Amino acid sequence: MARPIVPVPDPATQPFWDACNEGKLIVQYCSVCDRRQFPPEAACRDCGFNFHLTWQETSGRAKIVGYSITYDSRLVQWHPLQPFLNVIVALEEDPVINFHTNLIDDFGTNLSEEPDIPIGATCEVQFVEAEPGRMIPEWKLVK
Amino acid sequence: MAILLSFDIDGTLELGDPPGGVTTEMVRKARDVGFIIGSCSDKPLSVQRKIWEDMELTPAFVSAKHQLGKVRRENPADAYYHMGDRDTDYMAAKDNNFGFWWAHEAAEQPWLEFDMNNHEQIPITT
Amino acid sequence: MAREVNWERNHDPVGIWNGRGKAALVARGHSPTDRRWDGESLDKSLGAFMMIAVQNALDDAGITIDDVDGIIGSAGGQGNGQPLSDVWGPRPYFDAPYDSEDGLTHVTGQWLRQQMGFKNLRYINNHGDPVWNLIGQASQAIADGRAEVVVVTYPNGNLPGRYHQDPSNQARGPAVWPNTWGWGLSGQGFTFNQYCQKYGTNHDRMAPFVVQERKNGLLWEHSYYAQHEPGEFTEEDYLNGRMIARDLSIFDCDRPVLAAAAYVMVSADRAKDMKQKPVYILDHTESQFSPRSLVQTIDDTEEWTDIQAQRSYNGSGLKPEDIDIFAPYDGFAVFTQYYIEAFGWRGVKRGEAHDFYAGDISLKGPNPLNSGGGNMGTGRMRTVFITDPLEQLQGRAGDRQVTTKAEVAVTHGVLPITAGTVVMSTSPD
Repeated sequence: MARPIVPVPDPATQPFWDACNEGKLIVQYCSVCDRRQFPPEAACRDCGFNFHLTWQETSGRAKIVGYSITYDSRLVQWHPLQPFLNVIVALEEDPVINFHTNLIDDFGTNLSEEPDIPIGATCEVQFVEAEPGRMIPEWKLVK
Repeated sequence: MAILLSFDIDGTLELGDPPGGVTTEMVRKARDVGFIIGSCSDKPLSVQRKIWEDMELTPAFVSAKHQLGKVRRENPADAYYHMGDRDTDYMAAKDNNFGFWWAHEAAEQPWLEFDMNNHEQIPITT
Repeated sequence: MAREVNWERNHDPVGIWNGRGKAALVARGHSPTDRRWDGESLDKSLGAFMMIAVQNALDDAGITIDDVDGIIGSAGGQGNGQPLSDVWGPRPYFDAPYDSEDGLTHVTGQWLRQQMGFKNLRYINNHGDPVWNLIGQASQAIADGRAEVVVVTYPNGNLPGRYHQDPSNQARGPAVWPNTWGWGLSGQGFTFNQYCQKYGTNHDRMAPFVVQERKNGLLWEHSYYAQHEPGEFTEEDYLNGRMIARDLSIFDCDRPVLAAAAYVMVSADRAKDMKQKPVYILDHTESQFSPRSLVQTIDDTEEWTDIQAQRSYNGSGLKPEDIDIFAPYDGFAVFTQYYIEAFGWRGVKRGEAHDFYAGDISLKGPNPLNSGGGNMGTGRMRTVFITDPLEQLQGRAGDRQVTTKAEVAVTHGVLPITAGTVVMSTSPD
């Protein structure tokens, strides 16, 4: 499905979005600080340098840590989908790293009743087309 | 035949903030003709009650905007209408199967055109 | 104007402030409070309101424009320095001085200097920080000798239409991360929900706090509610609030208003000549954090607020039991508990704030939390967080005057992620 809002890459985020188009979920990694970093930034947030900052592919597996439901967004393009689900998932191999997902495949977009979201459940990344040629990561429950 | 009219306040009633085009006289006339009238707004319930006091009218209900379903359950009627100026009004009406008028349409008092003895609720088409 | 940050006290350990007691807050002035500007009435623009507030502050201090040598303020109409015009769009202007956005939807010190005729200014800065940081910056400027009599200006605007709506179907820069997935105020609800899960509490337990703030706000003459909606706000009202996002209701969100406030701050020497009793600044500290990853979690929130609270105690040398008046920000009511628990005011520990709310937090009781009413009780102008502590310590809060001791106040805002804390006292020592 087309998404209400599509991301426009910039130099700092281009590699991330390019990887999405190839079906890979990547995050930054600072080899000196030995830490992953997401969202991408120009330099490592801990040491402040970019010399040791590379991109690292992740497993794409994550666990649900919590969720919210938006009933009245300030983002006008999302209004037709209200209420909609916002789920936060944390990367299985590094729970500090978290992502947004709408879990649309599992819970849809029209929530008349509050859904029973299984906190702690495992999800895996999938890539959906936000617009032609622009894939974005979403997650789905591992059944 | 019982027809319920639910008025949003801000942007709809003249006493709203911002003021809307539906005057107190229009609301009074709707009541006099026999409509079940009340408000459904984001304003606190206590403030809504005060506004009805100021209009010197007694509402059949006051309700938060997301509780139109409760209004339907607690007020038996043959047809239900809500009017307001925002997407949330429209969505609330749609979700609860109320007919809907935008505030500027409501200011034309479309309910006065109804045949009170033979009326079918106008579905949401906006 | 570039944001000037070298005055901030944001590196631990900050140590006792070397400007302690050298600057004082002595007077306040407010404009009327409206819901929004109609875009036409020049006597009700943000610039017109700002001039009213400045004159009222000068009158309150008993000084004239010629006494003032510094203006430090926020130009922005939206509190974060973003001019309202950014969302309002280009429009035809009026005759001078209203021939640009300056004076209409945001107000710079330069515009005020021109309109009000300040002649002796040697320091002007309007970088748009929240009001706590402005008070901190003015305190530092005075303690450093860069100015002696400073007017702090804080205009907050609102225009017709819905607040902060974004119609774009593309997201750029940092906005790609929230907007692509429709994230927004859901973040406030998410963190609050994590708090509730962690400590076994729930959203309904916020009701006593918000109801009390609304009561307190009705006693502040500049409150939007006191001026325009003076009825009682009840627990029934709160519990029936429409949810904007899960665990964040419309009554947890402050109502945008149009209002301006100004404060007169002076050196300790000059404070003796002022009409009002001086309230000395014992410390100011600031902080700016980043989430560990994309989404701010309860762990991030508690870590940041703990760091800032400890920084403030380190800077002032005070302990929680020394704080008489405590004014933690509530621009979303669902984050005030993080501050109360971090500062440990009245012995409240992590996870205990909602029990505290269920006790006596009334104005005349032992724990008069946010005695000015906060933003929930006054509207989205933030200035009650300075005016109320000031008036409580000066003993001129009128019907809001607390019955507990009022000699030391701590006011804190704005967000967990970016904060400023100001410590005030009736004594410079």
